[in-house]
Amino acid sequence: MATPLHTTNPPLACWNCHERTIGTHFCPGCGKLLQLPQGSDYFAMFELPRKLWIEMGALEQKFLQLSWKLHPDNFVGATEQEREISLQRSSELNDAYRTLRDPIARVEYLLAIEGTRKNGENKQQAPPELLEEVFELNESLDELREAKADGSDTALLRCRLEDAEKNFEEKQNEVDGLLQSKAREWDAAIDASAQEAARKKIMAQLNELLNRRSYIRNLVVNVQKELL
Amino acid sequence: MGKIVGIDLGTTNSLVAYVDAQTGEPKCIPGPSGSTLCPSVVSLDPDGSIIVGEPARRRLLTQPERSIYSVKRLMGRGPSDVQSELKLFPFRIDPASKNVIRVQLGDKVFTPPEISSFILRELKNWAESYFGEPVGRAVITVPAYFNDAQRQATKDAGKLAGLEVLRLVNEPTAAALAYGLHEKPAAAGGKVAVYDLGGGTFDISVLKLISTGEGDIYQVLSTNGDTHLGGDDIDNLLQAFVHEQILQTDQIDFSPHGELAQELRKALIDIKHQLSETTSATLRFPLPNGNVFVREFTRGALEALIRLVVERTMVPVKLALADAQLKPNELDEVVLVGGTTRTPMIRRTVQEFFDRKPHTELNPDEVVALGAAVQANILDQGVKNMLLLDVTPLSLGIETYGGAVAKAIPRNSTIPASAQELYTTGVDNQTGIDIHVLQGERELAKDCRSLARFTLRVPPAPAGLPRIEVKFLIDANGILQVAAKDLRNGQQHIIEVQPSYGLNDADIERMLEESIEYAEQDFAERQVIEARTEAESILTATAKALANPQAAQLPATERQTVDAGVAALREAVKGSDYKLIRQQIDELNRATEHLAELLMNTAVQTALEGKKLAEV
Repeated sequence: MATPLHTTNPPLACWNCHERTIGTHFCPGCGKLLQLPQGSDYFAMFELPRKLWIEMGALEQKFLQLSWKLHPDNFVGATEQEREISLQRSSELNDAYRTLRDPIARVEYLLAIEGTRKNGENKQQAPPELLEEVFELNESLDELREAKADGSDTALLRCRLEDAEKNFEEKQNEVDGLLQSKAREWDAAIDASAQEAARKKIMAQLNELLNRRSYIRNLVVNVQKELL
Repeated sequence: MGKIVGIDLGTTNSLVAYVDAQTGEPKCIPGPSGSTLCPSVVSLDPDGSIIVGEPARRRLLTQPERSIYSVKRLMGRGPSDVQSELKLFPFRIDPASKNVIRVQLGDKVFTPPEISSFILRELKNWAESYFGEPVGRAVITVPAYFNDAQRQATKDAGKLAGLEVLRLVNEPTAAALAYGLHEKPAAAGGKVAVYDLGGGTFDISVLKLISTGEGDIYQVLSTNGDTHLGGDDIDNLLQAFVHEQILQTDQIDFSPHGELAQELRKALIDIKHQLSETTSATLRFPLPNGNVFVREFTRGALEALIRLVVERTMVPVKLALADAQLKPNELDEVVLVGGTTRTPMIRRTVQEFFDRKPHTELNPDEVVALGAAVQANILDQGVKNMLLLDVTPLSLGIETYGGAVAKAIPRNSTIPASAQELYTTGVDNQTGIDIHVLQGERELAKDCRSLARFTLRVPPAPAGLPRIEVKFLIDANGILQVAAKDLRNGQQHIIEVQPSYGLNDADIERMLEESIEYAEQDFAERQVIEARTEAESILTATAKALANPQAAQLPATERQTVDAGVAALREAVKGSDYKLIRQQIDELNRATEHLAELLMNTAVQTALEGKKLAEV
């Protein structure tokens, strides 16, 4: 199934005056705040194409501008239905901004709406080339736990784990770099209206990188916890 | 709908404020004593009536078992949460309390939201007497670090007090609004830290001020705090210290919550306040054995005692800055809020940490109420030149297999915020899915705060077939709402959420009914009583004046007007239209102006009579 690359929201009927409209926020007919149409997504909400490079200043400006319009403060005296729509719309706006502002969450979200990644999916298998290092790391972590339990000297182990932590942080930075260049590749494919197969391939690679990053990230966090 | 006010429902004192329509400035409303501070103390009179504020505070000494202070510490908490508080505070918790604490006052029990509602009702009365018209809506402030249950309890208290709570606003954010920092050019586009140390709670919030074409936005970047850290802790330290000393010198062991302990606490709070102004102060405390305990306190000694309390506040400060990705010297403004920030050691510590002189221009006791009034005005008038974007202080999570917590909405997310989770069944014909919602930063459910549990009802079907989407939404008050949708038929599920530590709708309804028993007369009734009292006094004064021989000088027509005014007022007093009574009072006042002058002249003459000219 081809994924439509819509950059604006699909038309819907206004809940108040029933006029069909392509207005994004307010009904051009009666001026009421509109519900978010089915099938709308975070990119569409900001009138952005589904590309991964986003100019942060412009994103913030748009967020603030929409906040003025959608925030429940504007609807305190309105009907219950309008208050409810405002609550839904402004929470969606805040969710969208929170997601798009964060480069990793942004890629995860794109893959989710493009159907490549399930929400919350994180494959926890070690990437093959890291197996050996991960094995060593886990051994050191076990030793540290044991040493802590019998109260023996942990200085040397801590030193070794700190090195490992640095090592894995570097690897995380490497993955971040790869993600960035893959994201540029995605944007170029969108600009060139590339075939679905080509896009699918990039998405699969992005997904792989995300899984790898999440795996490494977990390792780093676990080490940090033991070192505390 | 009536007037709208901003209320600071504090641990130690509560205040009510409004925005003056003429000046556009927020102002605190004084109570009957002339003070704008209403001590957050409630006492149950033996005759069954509720006493609030300064009179109740005096009863802490005379009737401690019928009186309660610092009830904010109990809001939204369960009996097991407050065991440590019980050692330090004279709360008498009903042993039968389950998920909601019930406090004993004399022979009755009340929940913390009910006790708070008495305070809110008192402030509502202050405002109504001040405006001469009813007040029906309010913005109430809460500590930024309050969790869902604590917020819900505050909102319930508002409802029980007969107020429509338009918004709960975080205290540090309110303070930033009160300072109107967007008007300071240096702060426009800048970052502001608000350090708020009150009687029982500590908050730190980091805000960004943004000027846009449409107006100014106060965007909260991060918040942190401790809902059980404040001036009370300093008082507890002082009290424990002096108890120990008295035990040694006079072998008197204070019963921790008796009258003597309350008196000593009050004396020590005075010493604490004095030490903010001077470098030494002397405690003289009469003991039951006839001795007087005398001890000089220096500011240095107090600072040594409270160092740990001050240091404890700096942990949340550092965490909030880390979440905002800022260093201490990157802040453009620092604001101090809360009575406890009058302590010189705290001012010094904050100034050194941020390397910047903090704002202390506004009265730290009033600033939060003033900010609440500003927000109330925005909501009332739809003032479109200012917008507040606040955050949720704690991550929202859902319990997963093995007691772990999956984060759904991270802390410091701008609110309203939401998260969707998809649920299905694990075995064939399973009819319910249990969901446990938590708040907190820890990884295990048992270490987080339980907000609510509920069961999704599912029609029988093969395992994995049902698809139920649950939407968790934190509204602009920081309060959780849950909605579920069956994705197979699009049907909206109604979810009965049983709050883990709070009142359910039935509780509230019952309390609303019961509250009528304690409610003071409604606004109109009180107005009639006040107007009648005033009418009586002017009628008495007029009768006395007319009996004076000088009254004979009054021309007949004027005399007729006065008599008519008296008759009209007498008639009005029989009815219950307070506006008519006030109108007749005004008319009689005007009619008796000349009479009053005549009597005044006589009074002056009488004073001069029998005196030699030289003495005049």
